[in-house]
Amino acid sequence: MNQRNEIAKTKESGIKRASNLKTAIPAVDIYENENEIILHADMPGVVKEAVSVNIDNGTLSLSGVRTLEKKGDPKWEEFGNVEFIRSFSVPQTIDIERVEAELMDGVLKLCLPKSEAAKPRQIEIKTA
Amino acid sequence: MFIRIGDMDNVFGAMDLLRNKMDQFLDDFDKSYDYGSGLSFISSGPRTALYEEKDAFEIRVEVPGIAKEDLNITLQGNYLEITGSRTIDAPEGYKVHRSERGTRSFSRNFTLPDGIDAEKVEAALRDGILYLKLPKSEVARPKQIAIG
Repeated sequence: MNQRNEIAKTKESGIKRASNLKTAIPAVDIYENENEIILHADMPGVVKEAVSVNIDNGTLSLSGVRTLEKKGDPKWEEFGNVEFIRSFSVPQTIDIERVEAELMDGVLKLCLPKSEAAKPRQIEIKTA
Repeated sequence: MFIRIGDMDNVFGAMDLLRNKMDQFLDDFDKSYDYGSGLSFISSGPRTALYEEKDAFEIRVEVPGIAKEDLNITLQGNYLEITGSRTIDAPEGYKVHRSERGTRSFSRNFTLPDGIDAEKVEAALRDGILYLKLPKSEVARPKQIAIG
């Protein structure tokens, strides 16, 4: 009497996340000139200690965790504790040693200088 | 006209499956959402949150990259309005690859429940979030009533 198809019974056993923290993708602005690449990412409410910036093998990953203290009875909450996470491919020509990061007013500013070898050079033609 | 038990069961089985799928779908949707150009995700402006404590309200607004001078908070009676504008901090002469943050003026307003003590409102801007503390006036605080 109770005939259920196998398909209807199977639950998907996806990999569960370790923490229940929501993730969000921060808005970024990316600028480039011949010396460096500049990246600004909006991460309101994130403090310096909670940000991690990693460059590995041509991939730049940003992560910022925001934890706000709970106060009182939430009547209306459009934002909460969240992890801002985003990754980018960066060209191999970035000089990793000289990368600088600054966090101010909830905006993470990254400066990625290009290595000397990558800067555009005029190639002189010698007359033989 | 009698529906077979087996058929009804199949219908409910399908509905169950649909509901589970929808739950998962909505779960995933909630987990990761695009903040996009932060100031205009919600069409009316930056994200806000309102908390109520026994003797004060706290309003928080997400305003990354905005300095104190660019914000304008006015309280008229119990109508609170927060406006501001963000100037673009793009360096000159660079090629723009991506520009998601946007540069915009925004405005959010609230009508608060009665009984805010306008004299004692405090505002603080920290790490790109504006914290507004609005103490309740005497009238609005909860009071215990003793039975005589």
